Parts: sequence; structure tokens; C-alpha cells
Amino acid sequence: MGAQLVVDFGKCTGHGRCYSTAPDLLTYDEEGFVSVRHAPMDLDESQLPAAKTAMDACPEQAMRITYGTE
Amino acid sequence: MTFELDPERRCPVVHTDYRQDRPAFTTIPQLGVERELAPAVWNDSTEYGFLMVQRYDDVMELLKQTDVLVSDNVNAFDPHMQIPLIPNSLNPPEHTKVRRVLNPFFSPAAVKRLEPLAKERAESLIGALAEKKSVDLVSEFAILYPTELFLALLGLPTEDGTMVLPWVEAIFGGFFASTPEELQAAGDAVASFNEYFGRLVDERSADPGDPETDLVSRLLVSEIDGVPMSREDILVTCMTLMTAGLDTTRSALGYIFHQLATEPDVRHRMVNEPESWSRFIEEAIRVNSLIIQDGRQVKEDMEVLGCPMKAGEMVWLGLAAANRDPRKFEDPDTFDMDRENLNHHLGFGAGVHRCIGMHLARAELVIALETWHKMIPDYRLRPGAELTERGGQLRLQTLPLEWD
Repeated sequence: MGAQLVVDFGKCTGHGRCYSTAPDLLTYDEEGFVSVRHAPMDLDESQLPAAKTAMDACPEQAMRITYGTE
Repeated sequence: MTFELDPERRCPVVHTDYRQDRPAFTTIPQLGVERELAPAVWNDSTEYGFLMVQRYDDVMELLKQTDVLVSDNVNAFDPHMQIPLIPNSLNPPEHTKVRRVLNPFFSPAAVKRLEPLAKERAESLIGALAEKKSVDLVSEFAILYPTELFLALLGLPTEDGTMVLPWVEAIFGGFFASTPEELQAAGDAVASFNEYFGRLVDERSADPGDPETDLVSRLLVSEIDGVPMSREDILVTCMTLMTAGLDTTRSALGYIFHQLATEPDVRHRMVNEPESWSRFIEEAIRVNSLIIQDGRQVKEDMEVLGCPMKAGEMVWLGLAAANRDPRKFEDPDTFDMDRENLNHHLGFGAGVHRCIGMHLARAELVIALETWHKMIPDYRLRPGAELTERGGQLRLQTLPLEWD
């Protein structure tokens, strides 16, 4: 299993800092929430830096990157 | 540091009346002093008093406790305020349902649709000022621009701005009122708003617009738990959004232009680096957080950070002081748009009540600043200008600028 970006649905309140700081990786739904908040997103190696940037930008610390079979 | 202790509250007590106007840039430092006294501090400057919580982690944590710290009233200065706000005064799960109806109007996609108009209005307003070479930024630009855009977002004629602005001012007067006259004026303004938006609701009921792009039309067809929103709730929602959108953007522009006028190095960097405006505004909002607090009401008797509180009493969640908390932000009083945790400020609040207009506000600010600095890259604060900031919710009352 590779890396995944996981959004904690309960913590995400839609600040949108993730998709603003990593616009090539993430986008938003019609309500303004990050579009992947309902399901983990598979990441390849090249996407990891952008995913890290997005994760660090979240004021609610609602995002994490998991590796392997966690 | 020495301080008075309130034995019943089990915390320090302070007397600073934050409703009062002060010399500019003195409110937030005073809040910082009180943040450092203790995790929670009782403020007895108002009739009922309130508990101030101002350290970053505590503010974040308490903003999430929506089950025990409720939003029935969000004004720490007055637990009995009679001005209802939707969705601000709602709690989950009702709050969540209303936000779901409103969110799409303030989503990044919706804001993008408004960007061409924002550019056009900014160019027109700034173009008219450029030749004057001496302006009060607050009254001649900072309020007109967001008012016009907000009216446009609601599908209202931008010319109505001059009519609705005094109502917004009066309602804010009511939030932070210290006299019965101010409360009366706020009540009158609410009535005027209801009449104004009432006409709009009648028009849209008879001749509905596109619910995707017209807010009132959407409110009219939206259902919450299968029940349409009442006319009264629709009116309150419109008024709430209007008051929330205008004063804040004006205030942010005031503080931002003050900094750019008085720190030419920062201004020169931004003129040469316009792609950095979005980073600039995040740090500007952190350093001068105009919404200094988010009020919450204690639902049942409880202890908040070790202080006994009774049902109905108010907690002041200090967004501005939290944004300068040295436990969270390194060198917190210094403006540093390259700081690593730039996005973690609480200028737009946090948790379920986070500012619905944050994407709109950011876009408005970036467009205004980009446009202004293309047209007027150099300017200064008028020498000898004495600046005051409003209490309650900060704003520079005037900001005289001049250029050659």
C-alpha cells in the first residue's frame, strides 16, 4: 500500500487552506470543502510534497498522510 | 506580574472596557497583557461581566465545544442582546443545515464568478481617487468597495450602498452599545433592513431568480428538514450576512493600508511581487485581527479552565490575542509573511462557525490591493494624523493618505 491523504470529516470545517496552498493537488466541492474529505486519496511519490504542504496549512489539523496499511 | 484575584471565579480579574474607542494599535497589546495573566481572566467592565480565554490552544479547543458553549448569544458584552443572527446564533445540528444552504454562495467557485466585477469596481473606485492625491481611505474606498460587491453577490443594485450603510453602522453601534440611544438606533436599523429585504423577498417570490446564483431565490426554495425557511428567518439571514460582510472588509483594508503606508519596504516588496498578496493578507489578518473575540454562552453550570461559570454567562474567545500567542507563533508581534504556520491564524475563527465569507474576503482584499498598487504604488500617511480604533470590533475610524 502506498501513501494516502486522509481528511478527518469531523474536524474539517472548510477553511480551504489545503486546496489554496496545494491547488494542483486538491480541489473543492460546491460547498467550499476540500473535495476528498469523504474518502482517502491515494498519493504517488511526486504528490507527497504538495500533500505535506496542504496538511501543514490546515488550522484544524484535520488532515494526515498515512503510509502502508495503517 | 501582579494582578487582582477573584476568589469566587478563581482567576484574575481585569476591568478593561473593550467597547471603548482607543488610540490606534493599543487594543491588541492590552489584550496580550491580559492573555498572559492566566489561561482565563474575568472581565468586570460590563454589567454582567465575561470570562476571557485568549491562549491559542484554549481558544481552539473551546471553539469546538459547541455542545456546552453555545452560540444562542455571541456577544460577550451583553448576554441579553436582542439582535438575532442567522446562522451565527444557531447551534449544531440546525446550524449545519443552514450553513449547507448558504455555503455554496460563498464557495471559492462562487467567489470566482464575482472576481471580474471586483476588478472592475476596484479599478473604477481607485481610478476616481488617483487624481485626488489625498483621501480618507476608510470612507472613500474601504467601505464603498465591499458594500458594492456584497450587494452584487446578493443580486441587489450596487447603488443601494449609500442607503444601507448607515443601518449597518447603527447595528454595530447596538452590538457594542453603552447607551439606550445606541440600542434604539440599532432596533430602528433592524426594522429598516427588514423592510428593505422584505421588498426583495416579495419580488423574488413573485418572480424567482436562478437559485444557483441568486441568494434570496435560493433561500425561498430551500428546505430545512423538509420545511421551507420562514420569511422572518430569511430576513434575519440577509441582515446577518450584510452586517458581517461590510464592516470587516473595511476594517481589514484600513489596517492593511496603514501598514503599507508606514512600512515602505514591505510596500515595495509587494509592488514588485504581486503574486504574494495572498500570503501578505494572511499575515496581516493574523497581526491585526479585527474580530478580537468570538462570544459563547455557557449552556449549563460548568467550569471553564478551572473557573466556575453559571448557565447563561458569557465566554470571550480571544481570537486577536490568540493570534499573537507566543506559544503558537514565533516572534508573534512581528509581521512575517514567510512564517511557516501562516495559515493557522484564527482571524476568521475556527470550528463550525468559521467565517462563511472567508473566501470572498480574501479575494476582495487581494484584488483591491493588486489593483491599488498598480495604479498608486507610492503613498504615505498624512503627517500629524491622529488615529483611533473603534472598540468592540476593531477598525481605524479614519486613515488619511496622500501621494504626489
